[in-house]
Amino acid sequence: MAPKLNKIKNQTESPEEETPKKEFEELRGTREALLNILEDVEEARKEAEEERDKTLAIIENFPEGLLFFGGENELSSINPKARDFFNLEPENILGKDIGALRKISSLQPLMEILGEELEVYQKELKIREGLVLEVSTIAITSAEEKVGALVILRDVTREKIIERLKTEFVSIAAHQLRTPLSAIKWTLRMILDGDLGEIQQEQRKFLEGTYGSNERMIKLINDLLNVTRIEEGRFLYDIKSQDIIDIVKKVIDSLKQIAKRKRVKFSFKIPKKEIPQVEVDSEKISLAIQNLVDNAIHYTKSGGEVKVSLSYSKKEKQILFSVKDTGIGIPKEQQRRVFTRFFRAANAIRAETEGTGLGLFIAKNIVEAHGGKIWFESVENKGTTFYFTLRA
Amino acid sequence: MAQKILIVEDDKFLRELIARKLTQENFTISEAVDGEGGLKKIKEEKPDLVLLDLILPGIDGFEVLAKVKDDPALASIPVIILSNLGQREDVEKGMKLGAVDYLVKAHFTPNEIIEKVKTALK
Repeated sequence: MAPKLNKIKNQTESPEEETPKKEFEELRGTREALLNILEDVEEARKEAEEERDKTLAIIENFPEGLLFFGGENELSSINPKARDFFNLEPENILGKDIGALRKISSLQPLMEILGEELEVYQKELKIREGLVLEVSTIAITSAEEKVGALVILRDVTREKIIERLKTEFVSIAAHQLRTPLSAIKWTLRMILDGDLGEIQQEQRKFLEGTYGSNERMIKLINDLLNVTRIEEGRFLYDIKSQDIIDIVKKVIDSLKQIAKRKRVKFSFKIPKKEIPQVEVDSEKISLAIQNLVDNAIHYTKSGGEVKVSLSYSKKEKQILFSVKDTGIGIPKEQQRRVFTRFFRAANAIRAETEGTGLGLFIAKNIVEAHGGKIWFESVENKGTTFYFTLRA
Repeated sequence: MAQKILIVEDDKFLRELIARKLTQENFTISEAVDGEGGLKKIKEEKPDLVLLDLILPGIDGFEVLAKVKDDPALASIPVIILSNLGQREDVEKGMKLGAVDYLVKAHFTPNEIIEKVKTALK
């Protein structure tokens, strides 16, 4: 081999072939560059394929059902988990639009929830006995343009069962707890009423304290029952057209004594203009109002003031309820958590040892179940105003 | 003659408390600890009023109430439900079955219960 190589070498080195040699070198360089580019492209392609396979694998193996709808609201992909939920074959459904999918009986309930807009957030859908899904959608955008919507189906069957068991447990426990508390209440009351003979002043004082503690326990159990019912989703029960002024008046009347005892100035400004009837569950909305006003009175020191008012906005077709106090206020850093259950602000715990931390959670759920909004403004040591709205 | 109140209640202590209070108020007392016993006493003794618990061993208070209201000989006897079931469904069911009143034990004092009994007997 060596002599042959030498020969070539000799040839290329001859002076008259200088130009071709240069061209050859250039060509070789170009070829190398091309090969490099090709290699890079190949690598990029491989990477892209790997990336695509990875994405596909993620979608395919995702533990939640995924459906992707393209820009024309046509079903462009569906993962096996989602197909399992509805017993579907991909070839029958891919590429079809919402209208066509609605005609497939197993998909009909889902399509009903998704609607035309494909905008849903955490809605529950019972597919069959033993399968409850939670449906959410996410709009997919690319360069600020909507390219489609991703539908996520989460299997919440087990969570639902646990939730039900928990609710049943709390409900039974609450009923069972009430019986001994009734016995305590009745006994103490009878002793305090002198049914079992005269009692001394000091004995009375202690027994009255015990009676008060027992009443608090009864209230706590009522609150717990209300909370479990909120979670069961059957909290609103009896929606009727009602006069909201009457409802507020009744609550105010029931709390007047407490305000008087605490020496808190307490007023309800009845609106001059007529307020239309509202569609509410009066027992529940009374409970929400009571929790708000009761808090206002409890967390306002003697000499302070609690003002309740109602107004109606014709334009927005809504009633605005507010209760303003000159109380201890809610510390700014804790305001975010005010509506979470069992939460009590640090200054509230200091000011008043009783309180379950459930009142505002219940109030919020009741107002929102009526389609209303609830919020507050508060400055620590100055006071708080709670507001809520109801459609009317 | 003193009016007779039948107390159907499975908790011994609660039964004693309410019996004592009613006796003080000059009522005659009869007691039953379960649904069957309660129903039997209602038939035999025809009390002037029944204080009826709902959660009872054997047949429950709802069933006792339904049977009483189904029997023309007993239907006129007023029944006050005195129970710790207090959800609106329970209250509505009880009132629909024909109870004259529904009292949640933990929400009433003995005196308030006596007042309700007296009102029902008027």
